[in-house]
Amino acid sequence: MRGIGLCIVALLFICETYAQTKEITGKVTDAKDGNGLPGVSVVSKNGQASTTTGTDGIFSLKVTQQTTILNFSYVGYQSTEVRIANGQANVSLTRMDNQLSEVIVTGFGTKIKKDISGSFSRVKGKDIENMPVASVDAALQGKAAGVFVNSQSGKLGQAVTVRIRGNSSISASSQPLYVVDGVPVTANDQSSYGGATNPLSDINPNDIESIDVLKDASAGAIYGSRAANGVILITTKRGRAGKTLFSVNYQTGTSKETRRVDFLNSEQYAELFQRATRWYDARNGINPNDPNSETTFAKEWMAYHSFDQWLTDPKKSYDWQDQAFQKGIYNQADIQMNGGNEKTKFFGSLQYLDQTGILVGNNLDRITGRLNLDHKAKEWLNIGFTMSLARTLNRRLPDDNAFSNPLQGVAFMPMTPFTDPNTGLPTGTPPGDVNVGLYYNPRLSIDYALYTQEVFRNFSNVYGNAKILPGLNFQTEFGVDILSQNEEGYFQSQTVRNQTRAARGVGVNRAAFIVNYNTNNYFNYIRKIGNHSIDLTSGMQYQQSTAKYNFTEGIDFPSNSYKKIASAATKSGGSSSETNFSFVSTFFRANYKFKDKYLATFSVRRDGSSRFGANERYGTFPAASVGWVLTEERFLQSIKMISFLKLRASYGQVGNAEIGNFPQLGLFTGDAGYAGNAGQRPSQIGNPDLKWETTAQLDLGLDFGVFNNRITGELDYYEKKTSGLLLNVNIPSTSGFTTQTKNVGTLENKGFEIVLNTQNLIGDFKWNTNLNLANNKGKVLNIQGQVIQGGVGSINRVMEGQPIGVFYTVQYAGVDDANGDALFFKNTTVNGQLDKTKVNASGYNQAQRTVVGDPNPDYIFGVTNNFSYKGIDFSVFINGVWGNQINIYGMGRFSSANFRFEDNQTVDQIGAWTAPGQNAKVPQARWLSNNGAQLSSRYIVDGAYARVRTVTLGYNLPASVLSRFKLDRVRVYASALNLFTFTKYPYWDPEVNSDSFDSNIAKGNDFYTPPQPKTILFGINIGF
Amino acid sequence: MKKYFISALVITLLVTGCEKKLDVLPTQSIGQGQALLTEGDVLVTLIGAYDGLQGVSAYGGEIMVLNELIGNSADIRFTGTFAGLSDAYKLEMTADNTFALGIWNQCYNTINRCNNVLSALDKITSSAANKNKVEGEALFIRAALYFELVRLYAKTWGDGDNQTNPGVPLVLTPTTSITEANFKARSSVAEVYALVIADLTKAESLLPVSNTIFATKNAAAATLSRVALMKGDYAGARDAAHRVISSGRHTLSATFAGLFFTFINNAGNSPSEYIFSMKVTTQDGTNGMNTYFGTNAGPGTSGRGDCKIFPAHLAKYEAGDARGAFFTVVGGNNYTRKHLDRFGNVLVVRLGEMYLTRAEANFQVGTTIGQTPVKDVNDIRNRSGLANLATVDLAAILKERYLETAFEGNRLHDIKRTRGTQSGTPWNSPKMILPIPQREMDVNKKLVQNVGYF
Repeated sequence: MRGIGLCIVALLFICETYAQTKEITGKVTDAKDGNGLPGVSVVSKNGQASTTTGTDGIFSLKVTQQTTILNFSYVGYQSTEVRIANGQANVSLTRMDNQLSEVIVTGFGTKIKKDISGSFSRVKGKDIENMPVASVDAALQGKAAGVFVNSQSGKLGQAVTVRIRGNSSISASSQPLYVVDGVPVTANDQSSYGGATNPLSDINPNDIESIDVLKDASAGAIYGSRAANGVILITTKRGRAGKTLFSVNYQTGTSKETRRVDFLNSEQYAELFQRATRWYDARNGINPNDPNSETTFAKEWMAYHSFDQWLTDPKKSYDWQDQAFQKGIYNQADIQMNGGNEKTKFFGSLQYLDQTGILVGNNLDRITGRLNLDHKAKEWLNIGFTMSLARTLNRRLPDDNAFSNPLQGVAFMPMTPFTDPNTGLPTGTPPGDVNVGLYYNPRLSIDYALYTQEVFRNFSNVYGNAKILPGLNFQTEFGVDILSQNEEGYFQSQTVRNQTRAARGVGVNRAAFIVNYNTNNYFNYIRKIGNHSIDLTSGMQYQQSTAKYNFTEGIDFPSNSYKKIASAATKSGGSSSETNFSFVSTFFRANYKFKDKYLATFSVRRDGSSRFGANERYGTFPAASVGWVLTEERFLQSIKMISFLKLRASYGQVGNAEIGNFPQLGLFTGDAGYAGNAGQRPSQIGNPDLKWETTAQLDLGLDFGVFNNRITGELDYYEKKTSGLLLNVNIPSTSGFTTQTKNVGTLENKGFEIVLNTQNLIGDFKWNTNLNLANNKGKVLNIQGQVIQGGVGSINRVMEGQPIGVFYTVQYAGVDDANGDALFFKNTTVNGQLDKTKVNASGYNQAQRTVVGDPNPDYIFGVTNNFSYKGIDFSVFINGVWGNQINIYGMGRFSSANFRFEDNQTVDQIGAWTAPGQNAKVPQARWLSNNGAQLSSRYIVDGAYARVRTVTLGYNLPASVLSRFKLDRVRVYASALNLFTFTKYPYWDPEVNSDSFDSNIAKGNDFYTPPQPKTILFGINIGF
Repeated sequence: MKKYFISALVITLLVTGCEKKLDVLPTQSIGQGQALLTEGDVLVTLIGAYDGLQGVSAYGGEIMVLNELIGNSADIRFTGTFAGLSDAYKLEMTADNTFALGIWNQCYNTINRCNNVLSALDKITSSAANKNKVEGEALFIRAALYFELVRLYAKTWGDGDNQTNPGVPLVLTPTTSITEANFKARSSVAEVYALVIADLTKAESLLPVSNTIFATKNAAAATLSRVALMKGDYAGARDAAHRVISSGRHTLSATFAGLFFTFINNAGNSPSEYIFSMKVTTQDGTNGMNTYFGTNAGPGTSGRGDCKIFPAHLAKYEAGDARGAFFTVVGGNNYTRKHLDRFGNVLVVRLGEMYLTRAEANFQVGTTIGQTPVKDVNDIRNRSGLANLATVDLAAILKERYLETAFEGNRLHDIKRTRGTQSGTPWNSPKMILPIPQREMDVNKKLVQNVGYF
């Protein structure tokens, strides 16, 4: 990093030269109310001199004698040129309310949306502030066209799936690159327990000024080998010159589960259980009253699992969901400060968030602080820094596929009491009978175990920006992202039925320490010559990440009072490890504009990475785009209805380098010890030709504004083709390896996006609508015949001609009316004809698997309606997906399987077939027999939903009241998250993907996965 | 302009300086080219082979668990939730059975470790004895696994033509890159048995008589006796078993109970009667038999409690038989006490079986090599507190074997080799042969699937 120091030193020695000057003064005001506008950029026409206005909108600027015109620009306002008169230049700026004037962050620069020819989506910080979700990516859901967000479950701080324009990878990461204030941040899961967590939840969403999503190749190519999944640029708020503004916000509320599932009560359960065992006994020719019959067993079993209560009170039922869910509590307090003068500006914030989840034992507690500082050191030099610190403490839950997952308690017999009557302790707690309860009682892991994840996070960044020549700037940035995480778990002896290691207590302690350095150094040159405008960017980026991990485990504690490993008699496990990667990159981008009419962008990046094989160390990623603003043409100017119309086209290549750190090497690993003797094993088969994945993308777009831009919108069509797909290619495991990472295969994603923003009513009563809708159709073109599968029951599969991760299994054919058999379609191909013969369980093995569903939605949408009247504002945001299916086999094979097992059944199972001729939806209940419990499309269900994600009603106190208390703003509001969900999904929540199975391929799996919370909040926001 | 040049220079320096930083190597792993250069490297790779053998999908327990679940539904009520095991128990396995996949993968992974050792024997230069020992151990592990593979995934020896019945693919060299040669077809049952016998015979000649927790001459001989029994080669089985017994390296435990609870009662050491076992410590290894057959029955015990033993089985023991009392009742269900110990060593083969093998083989060929069949059987009976039998016939010997080694992971193969039935299913039913894993079938078109799987 000595280069950075050198650079800063170099800048300090640079001399300045000045020509003969004169001083101009003036004031910039808001055209609407005449108030002074602070922070407005004032630049001489030739670009040689510039300043910003002070707190009251006043500025003074030394310019050359020849200067006659000054240019005034300010974010969100129409830029204006003014002729200097008598050393004075006063101007009033008009606010622009339409989307076209927005400044888009493009990566190593910014651009006005109107002048852009690539495909970007922008979400303003304001649109996601105070949403009761802990992370920025979750808040993005439904806000940006073509950005699919799935929160996976209702547990706090869990990982979020984000896919921009479909899934472009099979084995490499499909998550976008996240760049916060210029630093690509650590965004991959660091959790060792309870499913993946989300490192982005260490960012306070209320600190965010804007989120810009780079979607097409032209936008993304500046990030080269890291842009194939799209890039999300997060820009935090900066200070503005003027009066120091304070904003205090507090919100509080409660949550509950969005839905419960109906299970059998004790009477229904006992009836269905014995119905199933009587079938079994009849088959074996045993009298159901025989002591050795399964029916007798069933009765004894129910008595045993109810502490004999069932014998005396057969109606007494317990809904085990009561033991899983609790009332969630949400509390959040914010203070933000913002101010400064022309030379120095600052933004500071502090937030405290305390969240109790809707699942027992789940809490998240976060405190974040930020200070962003900008200082004009010299006329030609701006310096600044940003720093944010966060501490997140998350009391975690086990992953979905653990008996200790609270929701798995629904499998218990409904007659099993929550509490052991003999001890008054939760059922299954020693010294009571630990075997009562069909399975381990998950409640014990709440009462007698603890697993916490504590993360300290620091995002820091310093920059210097030097004006070298008129129009030529040099920007140097150095940033770090430090993630320091401690996970601590302790499982008391009461949990031994779940954790055999916990017989005398087990404690684990894990640490992760990840330091991620980044430096960006680049030139920017802007020049306007006549009708030609150019904007060039060129520079380099270097990033290096070091991750260190260690782990200790101890067992055999003196008693449950001792919880630290220091007290463990046996230190049963320990390890330390480290992994690294680096990227060195050079990039160049040229923007060209002719008369605001014709736009062109060319960008190229060359990336080298430690992750690539020796034969493929560097990759080059070029992209180009063109735009044509038709409304600047004379032939359209006569059509008054059309305010703006632009056509865009782009094409280029970007890469995906998220392939793990050493996939190219043939390796041995020293983790193969036996009985205290160290050992090594071949762990990975190498591939020196391994490189990034390449995505070539075509984007055709149209931006428009009609009726004086009261209706604006964007249409995009894209085609992405990804080749050289990194696949963990299955190889014969007889080789000793199961997979080899290779660049094989291709896939494509095609789709369109529609964005529509309308101002339906203006005036006192305002109503505007923002709508986005996107369609994506992914298709795997070539995987060279490899079989790649995942998910519950290995049902998700990658197949040529299909989207990634389709559900591939036997097709269920319903119930045989004659005998209650579950039926399956044979679906074998005989002489080119599909054999649709139905077979029962005995023929299941002969039935051919087919594609029976797709976890990827065809359409995703979000629609926001904002209403305001005087001080009252009201907004409703709905989002949803359709055209996808969900695999419920994880629960279904136990809970909706007509009593294959003794797990409690969903209430629909009571309708299982009983008599010949009956047209039943559920096959006959057959104890211990797979009558439809096999993996089949019986367990593939529609996953479409529309959800009223947020509803907010706010009231701003009138100025007359505020002035009495010397306040600028008081807003009180009520908001609701996930108020209503419209879906046909039979289990808890269609917005689901089980954390135990999640991968690129394994999507749309539910495995007792907790639903999203429904949260009602009340808040107050005070500005002074 | 000076600023411009300096800035440009800074960028150039940064780019060229940083390019050197692209050579990043892993910290926990080494390149395969650096892994087998010295004698020490070969020795730690051999340990790696034991580690693989100990994998829960191999001799860590799942091989034995499947042998019991497929072969013994008459005695076991399996109530577990793992579909792969439940389907095996019900003889309703499908080609994507996860346990069939796990065992296959683990065995071949371990075989590759052995092949790496065998490919680098020339690095062992300290002594010929050391080299022989390493070669013997690697051959033993590889042969033991091929034997388990061929009897789980192929037709039983003698069920049709061994020369044409497909066995399993034979891989005898380490994999360093993937080429067409790695896509192997199944060798015949006869070819696999021939390799197993050749390797075990060689291993027996190379291995030392004592070798702490690792494989010995007797481990190879005991495995050879099992191979010979599977083939119906009674003379071979008898001789191999006799070599083990007469070596005097192992003695029968004084009590039947003394055979088990190696961690709880014996400080983690296997009793002398164990000829080969997988050592489990608190830090390393899992006892897969404990996982499924064990249950919580007091300190140090654990298990999912999936394999409950029917009362009918308990009724088969004579009064006073210590083995019949070696059960425990938890939650109203019977569990065998053989696998309760959470960190108990996983038994692979023990001396008691050798007595019963010698008795059976002597009886079958009408010899009394080493001892008469009735004496061998009575030695086993007496240890569990039972009186001598006056005479034995084949049924009596097999019954003794069944009760003595119940739930130790031999049931399926005893049924197959004696041409018996299990809960009405005949010994040669395709339902009692594991599928070649669907994943492997999909990858390697040269493989043929077993009958009954698609």
